[in-house]
Amino acid sequence: MKRNFFVLLSVFVLASMLLAACGAPAAPATEVAEPVAPAAEEPAAPAAEEPAAMPEFVADKYEAPDCEYGGIIKSIEAVDAYTVKFTLCAADPAFPSKIAFSSFAVQPKEHLEATGGSPLENPVGTGPYQVAEWKRGEELIFKAYDGYWGEKAKATTLVFRWQSEAAARLLELQSGTVDGIDNPGPDDFAVIEGDANLALINRPALNVFYVGFTNTFAPFDNELVRQAIAMSIDRSRIVDNFYPAGSEVASHFSPCAIPGACEGEDWYAFDPAKGKELLAEAGFADGFATKLFYRDVVRGYLPQPGVVAQDIQAQLKENLNIDVTIEVQESGTFLDNADSGALDGMYLLGWGADYPDMTNFVDYHFGAGSSKQFGNKFDDIVVTLKDAASLAMDSDRAPLYAKANDLIKQHVPMIPVAHGGSAVAFKATVEDGHASPLGNEYFAVMGNGGDTFVWMQNAEPISLYCADETDGESLRACEQVTESLLRYEVGGTAVEPALAESYEANTDLTEWTFQLRQGVTFHDGSAFDANDVVASLVLQWDATHPLHKGNTGAFSYWSGLFGPFLNAPAE
Amino acid sequence: MSPEKKTTVANLDAEGITLESVSLWQTTWRRLFKRKSSMVGLAIILIMIFIALTAQWLAPYDPYQVLIGKEEVKMRQAPCIHLLGCPADQPQHIMGLDGNVRDQFSRLLYGTRLSLLVGFSTVTLAIVIGTVLGAISGYFGGWVDTIIMRLMDVLLAFPSLLLAIAIVTVLGPGLINALLAIGIVSIPAYARVVRASVLSVREMDFVSATRALGGNTYEILFGRILPNALTPLIVQGTLGIATAILDAAALSFLGLGAQPPTPEWGAMLGSERNQVFTAPHLVFYPGLAIMIVVLSFNLLGDGLRDALDPRLAHASS
Repeated sequence: MKRNFFVLLSVFVLASMLLAACGAPAAPATEVAEPVAPAAEEPAAPAAEEPAAMPEFVADKYEAPDCEYGGIIKSIEAVDAYTVKFTLCAADPAFPSKIAFSSFAVQPKEHLEATGGSPLENPVGTGPYQVAEWKRGEELIFKAYDGYWGEKAKATTLVFRWQSEAAARLLELQSGTVDGIDNPGPDDFAVIEGDANLALINRPALNVFYVGFTNTFAPFDNELVRQAIAMSIDRSRIVDNFYPAGSEVASHFSPCAIPGACEGEDWYAFDPAKGKELLAEAGFADGFATKLFYRDVVRGYLPQPGVVAQDIQAQLKENLNIDVTIEVQESGTFLDNADSGALDGMYLLGWGADYPDMTNFVDYHFGAGSSKQFGNKFDDIVVTLKDAASLAMDSDRAPLYAKANDLIKQHVPMIPVAHGGSAVAFKATVEDGHASPLGNEYFAVMGNGGDTFVWMQNAEPISLYCADETDGESLRACEQVTESLLRYEVGGTAVEPALAESYEANTDLTEWTFQLRQGVTFHDGSAFDANDVVASLVLQWDATHPLHKGNTGAFSYWSGLFGPFLNAPAE
Repeated sequence: MSPEKKTTVANLDAEGITLESVSLWQTTWRRLFKRKSSMVGLAIILIMIFIALTAQWLAPYDPYQVLIGKEEVKMRQAPCIHLLGCPADQPQHIMGLDGNVRDQFSRLLYGTRLSLLVGFSTVTLAIVIGTVLGAISGYFGGWVDTIIMRLMDVLLAFPSLLLAIAIVTVLGPGLINALLAIGIVSIPAYARVVRASVLSVREMDFVSATRALGGNTYEILFGRILPNALTPLIVQGTLGIATAILDAAALSFLGLGAQPPTPEWGAMLGSERNQVFTAPHLVFYPGLAIMIVVLSFNLLGDGLRDALDPRLAHASS
């Protein structure tokens, strides 16, 4: 027994040594293949030390040799001190929405170099607050930045605290030690609403919960069967009974807060008689037996998976005489099976927005590049979405999304059920308290009449370098300190200017030029210019960049939104 | 009974055995009757059996009926008992409503049926297979004994619940499969008990006599030895029902046993375990039901053991 253990151990050690040995030569190889990038990087260094001296500005440019590497960025360049230009490999109408995301916030180039590419606890930004002190495990203290270019923060000190238990958060709010809390428990909504000293604000739901079908398995290969089921699930019964306040029955696949999402007809009304008729027409007058898969994981879009699964089971039995066997799978297995189209029945899944654009919802699920999660793709939907994605203006895209939504309704690849809501709660005296659909509440506009504003969220931030964080609790903290070229409006999803005053794109949406705001200073007093933007983004983009360190080095949002890294190590 | 037999049955050996076993059951019953705890256990079991048989008349609702739209009720509503001051205009739900807005009391009653079914059937399965294996092993000895008993040792080496989980994983989740798994896992206990008592009975005079009279193996083993080796099996079986019910509830709790919407106690507990603070009635009652049933079988089993074994009875009383 013991000997086996040691044999196993030594095999592991050997294997890891082999892996390390194979990994090492791969890196130099790609560096050799990419001489353009580092060469362009070096001459910029002296110029950046004197950013104030305008005539001496040496613009940084970073360019991929070609688009073969798989990502959508071709080049990022500082045209002059206050102009940044992005060249893309393919048209991307959602580019402004993506670049506004807080992972792409700008920090001074010098600061990034000084911290070796991982300013985990001491970010320097341009935002209304700067980090004053982070007592790990206790609290995170920000103080207002006097030199902020926009409207100054109302409270001079902002404190973040955290508590994982919803009941304990509410207790703190009730006792008055904090001014606002995130995610009160659904059972406590009534308590908060009934308390004159507190205010409950529902967070609009930017997600969708759906019942998917794999259309390669009988009887779900029959469109009539899918339509029949779509009409025979009482979705408002599910939302009314099993979802917290602030949730909505889904009228379309994408939540209506996203431009273009709710064009076209509303989803089928609940009509079990019609459903029964359709099912009979399809040849299943007496129903059939099938399976319903789900993973027992609580998400904002599906707060009670087991209960909802059982209710759908009961409804299908009652309305269509379909016998449903419920099968729970482990989360990872379930997602793999769904993606590969291996679930031979129906399944419960959902989606939360990364950035507020239709492409993040419909293209991901029904577009040309979507997985096999619904079985075979529907060509007419694919074509319509492709046309829509190549247009820039929301008004031009709207009719196409109306068509796409109608096609989705006709083909029923899945049944959109709900947009799950959550909430935040404040003291009633807090001015401009709000909840953001993207989870980035902006505290500079909130005031409680005093100097210190205390916010309590679910968990401690992991780090404050959000280029390499995906956790909402971390992102919210970063968003008080650092800013991106653009930002989402307070409490909404529309994109508005931030560090860039304006932007424009060429007609085929492959070149985006941003005019930067002048006279902006960082918290450390240094001036903001185009090279800071290039530096902040390039170190994420290029996997071999000396500052491509971050916290774990994953930079998930970059690869998620812009595709593979430049010089990505071969797997 | 005995006088008639005396005149009709010629075989003295058989007569002796019959007489002894009759008096054994009588004394056992007498001893058992004297122990209050085992009588309480027996009473509870009888009540449970009654509930299980009459669940469809006792239950106020269909256990699968979702009450949304049928009544003015909410998900996970607390119990409403008219006798205890719940307004009469509200529908009565003695144990409240579960997460899917079904009557918890009705589900609990139907759950009795399932739990007892699981308990009796798994133990029956295990006893039948275990007895055959143990008897063969004990009677023949030699390499047969070695092979069977080492096999049983291997089964015993695994923690029983873990082994059951492994079996269910292979067979696929479901009540029947869980039942099979628990049955298989509990075979070794019975096989060992039977083997031990067969070994002790095998060399007794009446067995030798039957052998001398030319009885074949089948007759000796199943006609003479086994009937006289059964008493420890009864004790083991009664206690085993308790374990089986507990194991089945554990498997269902983990989602490997009864599948939704089946009203199984363990599954009911498992699906509402996160609501232990907000809706305690949903975990309290199924938990209590499991406890009562298991306790009653344990009480009865303990009583039976003491009653069947005079030495132990004296020691414990």
